[in-house]
Amino acid sequence: MTPDALPTEPLERIYGQALRLYPSRFRAAHGASMRQTFRDALRDRSLSRRALIPLVFLDLITSLAKEHLAMIRDTFLRPALLFNAVVLAAISTVLALALYSIPQQVLRQGANDPQIQMAGDLTTFLDRYGVTDGLNQGALLHSGGVVDMAHSLSPFLIVYNDQGQPLGSNAQLNGQTPAPPNGVFEYTRIHGEERISWQPVLGREHGVRIAAVIERVNGPQPGFVLAGRNMREVEAREQQVEQMAGLAWIVMLGLILLGTVAFGWTMRQKLA
Amino acid sequence: MYYPVMTTGIAPAAPLTPAVFAILLSLAEGEKHGYLIMKDARAPQGGGLHLGPGTLYGSLERMMRDGLVEESGISDDERRRYYRLTSLGHSVLAVELERLDAAVSSARSLGLLADGGHL
Repeated sequence: MTPDALPTEPLERIYGQALRLYPSRFRAAHGASMRQTFRDALRDRSLSRRALIPLVFLDLITSLAKEHLAMIRDTFLRPALLFNAVVLAAISTVLALALYSIPQQVLRQGANDPQIQMAGDLTTFLDRYGVTDGLNQGALLHSGGVVDMAHSLSPFLIVYNDQGQPLGSNAQLNGQTPAPPNGVFEYTRIHGEERISWQPVLGREHGVRIAAVIERVNGPQPGFVLAGRNMREVEAREQQVEQMAGLAWIVMLGLILLGTVAFGWTMRQKLA
Repeated sequence: MYYPVMTTGIAPAAPLTPAVFAILLSLAEGEKHGYLIMKDARAPQGGGLHLGPGTLYGSLERMMRDGLVEESGISDDERRRYYRLTSLGHSVLAVELERLDAAVSSARSLGLLADGGHL
């Protein structure tokens, strides 16, 4: 059966069903008129069905997309609703940053705890005897064994002379005793103490990060004491905190999105 | 019933879409219902535009919201509503016609269009 031979009523019924696809408010406002217009077109003998049906079909597809986009724009892109959503998203971003940065700082500062005490104790000893004589008297012997800086989580001590050259150590990295950059010694010389995250370089990067406390040794043979500890475990915990804060941020943004959609939808129904 | 098209100094922000222009042009003749507007738009003098009901009523809704057209309140059937131009709608149509007229004059002066309007 060619389109022109199709009876009017089934086509009108099909079009009536297709009208259900439009947004409800648009359908309520214009559905009956659209159906009437389609009926008028079907009855107009000057317009063949062969021309009308493809025209209406294409129009249905394009206008459905257009009206749904217009509905979404009217519902969710109202300035007040968008403003509230942006403000809430900004607040949740600040909260997530705080959730990350506060524990991260606590963990990082906590990583210095044993080193502060160890550096303080050794500095007090070396202040009295000097760095060379103090080492000769076994200042590092009580710490027990050589610490492998790359793998061990044990804290370690390194003593440097006034020029920043290592004199003694109970830790090594690839068989050598590394030294921090000269700037660290210069700072410590002026301020008495420095706390840094140190990535030792002995010819190449080793990927080892050390939480280090450096203290100035005064007295007859001045120098420096560095107490350090591999940050591997602390950094793993920092990464966990970062993941949890990131997850909390995504959940908060998701809740804001859901709330905005729900509020926009509710207000739309009230305004309609 | 015909409305005079006059210069008003109102300029649309951008050229009208073909659908809006065809609807304004059709309603310039007077109050009409949906299918009559579609039929006018389809005619060569109405722009030769094949409007479907979805595009027609979507455009009418936005034009009503923008104050270009309004329902006349007259109806020969509760499903067949009539629409008419507002004064703003007349003004916008006038501005658009002036814009098109200037373009046609320019095309004619460049020899792109014969006096009769044919290329």
